[in-house]
Amino acid sequence: MRRWRIAAAAAAAALLAAGCGSGSGNGGSGASNAPVTLTIWHNYGTEQNATALVNLAKAFHRLHPNITVNVVSQPATNYFALLQAKAISHNGPDLAVMWTGLFTLQYKGFLQNLKGYVSASALAQVDPNALKWTSDSFDPANGPYVIPLENQFYIGFYNKADFAKAGVTSVPTDWSELYAACTKLKKAGYTPIVYGNGGQPLGATFYPWYDMSYMMIGAYTVPQWQGLYSGSTPWTSPAISGQLSNWVKLHSAGCTNSDVVTNTTNLGQFESGKAAMMVDGTWDTQKFTSALGSNVAAFVPPFSSTPIKGVVDFAGDGISMMSYSPHKAQAAEFLTFMTTKQAAAIINAAGLIPAINGTSTTNSVNQEMLNFVSHGGMTAYPMLDNVVQGNVVNIGSKFLPSVLNGSESIAKALQDMQTTLQQLPASQRGNTFP
Amino acid sequence: MSLIADPPVRRPRHGRLARKRRLAGLLLSVPAILLVGALLWAPIVQAIRYSMTTWNGYSAPVWIGPSAYATALSDPIVHRVLENNALLLLAVPLAIGIPLIIAALLHEHVRGWRFFRSVYFLPTAISWVVIGMVALEFFAANGMLNHLLADVGLGSVHTDMLASEYNALAALAITFIWSMIGTNTIIFLTGMATLDPTLLEAARVDGLSRRQIFFRVTLPLLTRFIQFAFVITVISAFSALFSLIFVMTGGGPGLGTTTLEFFVYQAGFAQGQFGIGALYGIILFVIMIIVGIGQLRLIRSQDGEGW
Amino acid sequence: MATASARPAEAASAPSAPATPVSRWQSARFRRRVTATAIFTIMVLIAIVMFYPFWYMGDNSFRNQAQFDRQSGHSLAGWKQLFNDLPVVHQLVSSTIVCVAAIAIILVVATTAGFAFAKLRYRGSGLVFLLIVAAMMVPLQSIIIPEYVNLAKFSLTSNYAGAVLVYAALGAPFATFLMATFYRGISDELIEAAVMDGLSYERTFLRIALPLSLPAIATVTVLQFIQIWDDLLVGYLFLPTGDRTITVGLAVLSSGRTTGIPPLMAGSLVSAIPAIIVYLIFQRYLIRGLTLGMGK
Repeated sequence: MRRWRIAAAAAAAALLAAGCGSGSGNGGSGASNAPVTLTIWHNYGTEQNATALVNLAKAFHRLHPNITVNVVSQPATNYFALLQAKAISHNGPDLAVMWTGLFTLQYKGFLQNLKGYVSASALAQVDPNALKWTSDSFDPANGPYVIPLENQFYIGFYNKADFAKAGVTSVPTDWSELYAACTKLKKAGYTPIVYGNGGQPLGATFYPWYDMSYMMIGAYTVPQWQGLYSGSTPWTSPAISGQLSNWVKLHSAGCTNSDVVTNTTNLGQFESGKAAMMVDGTWDTQKFTSALGSNVAAFVPPFSSTPIKGVVDFAGDGISMMSYSPHKAQAAEFLTFMTTKQAAAIINAAGLIPAINGTSTTNSVNQEMLNFVSHGGMTAYPMLDNVVQGNVVNIGSKFLPSVLNGSESIAKALQDMQTTLQQLPASQRGNTFP
Repeated sequence: MSLIADPPVRRPRHGRLARKRRLAGLLLSVPAILLVGALLWAPIVQAIRYSMTTWNGYSAPVWIGPSAYATALSDPIVHRVLENNALLLLAVPLAIGIPLIIAALLHEHVRGWRFFRSVYFLPTAISWVVIGMVALEFFAANGMLNHLLADVGLGSVHTDMLASEYNALAALAITFIWSMIGTNTIIFLTGMATLDPTLLEAARVDGLSRRQIFFRVTLPLLTRFIQFAFVITVISAFSALFSLIFVMTGGGPGLGTTTLEFFVYQAGFAQGQFGIGALYGIILFVIMIIVGIGQLRLIRSQDGEGW
Repeated sequence: MATASARPAEAASAPSAPATPVSRWQSARFRRRVTATAIFTIMVLIAIVMFYPFWYMGDNSFRNQAQFDRQSGHSLAGWKQLFNDLPVVHQLVSSTIVCVAAIAIILVVATTAGFAFAKLRYRGSGLVFLLIVAAMMVPLQSIIIPEYVNLAKFSLTSNYAGAVLVYAALGAPFATFLMATFYRGISDELIEAAVMDGLSYERTFLRIALPLSLPAIATVTVLQFIQIWDDLLVGYLFLPTGDRTITVGLAVLSSGRTTGIPPLMAGSLVSAIPAIIVYLIFQRYLIRGLTLGMGK
């Protein structure tokens, strides 16, 4: 019912905007009268993001009847290699989904810097923290390459009913409280935290960078994370191995399922209430709220010796303009449209958290996450795997699950990550981001 | 016994007919040469050049030179990856032997052979993604394998093969052997279609047992096809398992199932570093030529009539 | 063999016959029967293992995502989503066009070249053969980008042509290798006799060798069909998005964060069927006895 009303509101807003738009649109670009087809590529599969993008395209077309937007879904595997190949032959799309952080900077060779294409007043509508991570040197003054679609969280989910039955009265905020909660949950017959390969794209083991982000939040401030990129804070630092040994203790003390590396049914175990906690991300919020109703809530994974102070709140993806696009003016209009309140309403209606200033989300669990920053005084951190080198992320993804499983030593895994970092050319591990 | 093949016919090596034969051979092989030359060797040669650069496709490549190979070959991670390739070779005899036995049984028309011949090939038609998912679910700690073990009273042998490096490679090898059954069986059936039934009949009349016929008659006549299956199986093990590894193990745990092919993908292709992808690819190329072509030449020295 | 196993009781209780020869005869027959039963049992077990993935696909296609996560309950959600999200029929047609065209090219170049390398050797033909076989030993990911750049220069990436050519090239070495291996089994006398009768070598190939090689042609067709049908990378890069193959289409179901498994299973089942049909059609050529002049 509520969603229907939002849709109606959005439609009304669209009509209004269309009325205004036809008046002001002509001033924007002389080319806007000739019919143009823009192509957008995305790698969203069947996620809510795909719904949001399709609806944005429809709404935009209503505002600009002479611009048709063709939304094309591309396989997520090899998506970036495909963009790269098409950039060589200059026959790719006009706009494409791009991941932010180092991904953006890695591919900026064929992305258009949006400074001057999307007006400063439009950019001012976007969450400044989101724009920062899509700009050269991660400084928004340099102009972004991507207009973010949504804010995503790496976040913990917990089952309120499980907590209540086990007598866990407050949500843990540091390692010792987490161990205490684990003991109670275990005694009550629950798997305290479940790990497994669900909650990520097709893949064999769980993706360790959700947890790793929170361990590094527990150890370092946002500016200090640059040291992980440059190597001035080696991966072998005592602070990092200390965090990892606390993490490994979760498994050895029985706070997790025993088969962390090979579990294939973790989503089911959490959705059925057998497991009380899970570290995941916003893309699974809707799935959990529809399975568990009001029993599911968000919490900040307390991977810290002192009460955890930060949360991964990051605009992980958005739309970028290809530098070879023949329709830059029209593409810029679409990106400008993405900064409007109307666009935010469409994004919210798809179950996502818009990265537009002053908007909220209608999913209460998502709103809890936003409140961690706006009301709880938490610092917003980026996703760690978006701000350290891809090769390091790869090696970490291979070794860290085994570390949690106890079949790989912490020192060996961290040393491998450090070696991988040092083998990169100096241009890929400077004191400033590229 | 008259079961050994007749000595090869001597054909004239000179004269008008021989010249016509050579000309016809050249003519008939031209289409294949053009196709493979233009569409495979051209990019291979380009890849050799790119392997010594930092090519990413759109920005100007920086020349590194042959030292790129020295650097790569001294990397301990590459050594570990190559070890995986070497270990995977151990699966090849089984990936050939099992289909060979199956093909021989089917060829002998054991009870239900028509049905088995159809069913054994079916999984070949399934995409790697599904095979990977099924294998993942089969080997998982709470998966089929352990349920089956428990059902036959071996519950104490609880396995978690995919959780440790060498066991995961063994699980991958088992899945690989399984996946080759369909392909290699039909290759051997094709080979057996060339066997002269009168030879087998003669052997049977001579009183040879089924096993003797297999080892003394069928197997020697199938050498060419075994050789063929060997090359194809090595190529599959080294360069066709990418999707399976991607879904089943992701190359892990650790570097346990990262083969050089998967490394080409992860360190090069997926990162957009096509120069590095080409570098590891050419290393793999050279290794496969040594293993594959070397084997073809080796057989030649034995029967004097190889390639 | 069927009659032997149908009458075990009679064979075991033949009391009147002389003792020694009968018991030997009995035990030999008994052993043969045990062997046959053991073989049959093993074959059945292998068949179950081979069939299991189909059960897995079928079972999980009739679920929605939550039912898949919990592995309980069934519904039509997977199938509905598949046909809602993907133009399945159009993509099956695309796959078929690409497969048929590429296999046609492969068969033409591989039968001719295979025959040449096996029976019509010329100076250097051994080396050329090895170069062709070697070309399939480089990992696709290492050469596909240069390949893409080359073909894009000739505008071959805006229709089926580019993908068909690349598939044909990728399949040609395997097929040539198999055809040559097969043709080496044809006796030289047969070829030379035909030539003595006044046929040219080219006509001898067409009239004599080609019909004999039906089993190998069937094998190449079946294996290449599956190879091309299930390929992701080439179809992904070289085909325009409107003319995708089913395999590329299904890959769209997995995103950067999650994968819709039930529709993927439904789609994989649909996608496996054409290859199975092709195999069932062609497997009848894989029979023994096609031996006119074969074996050396």
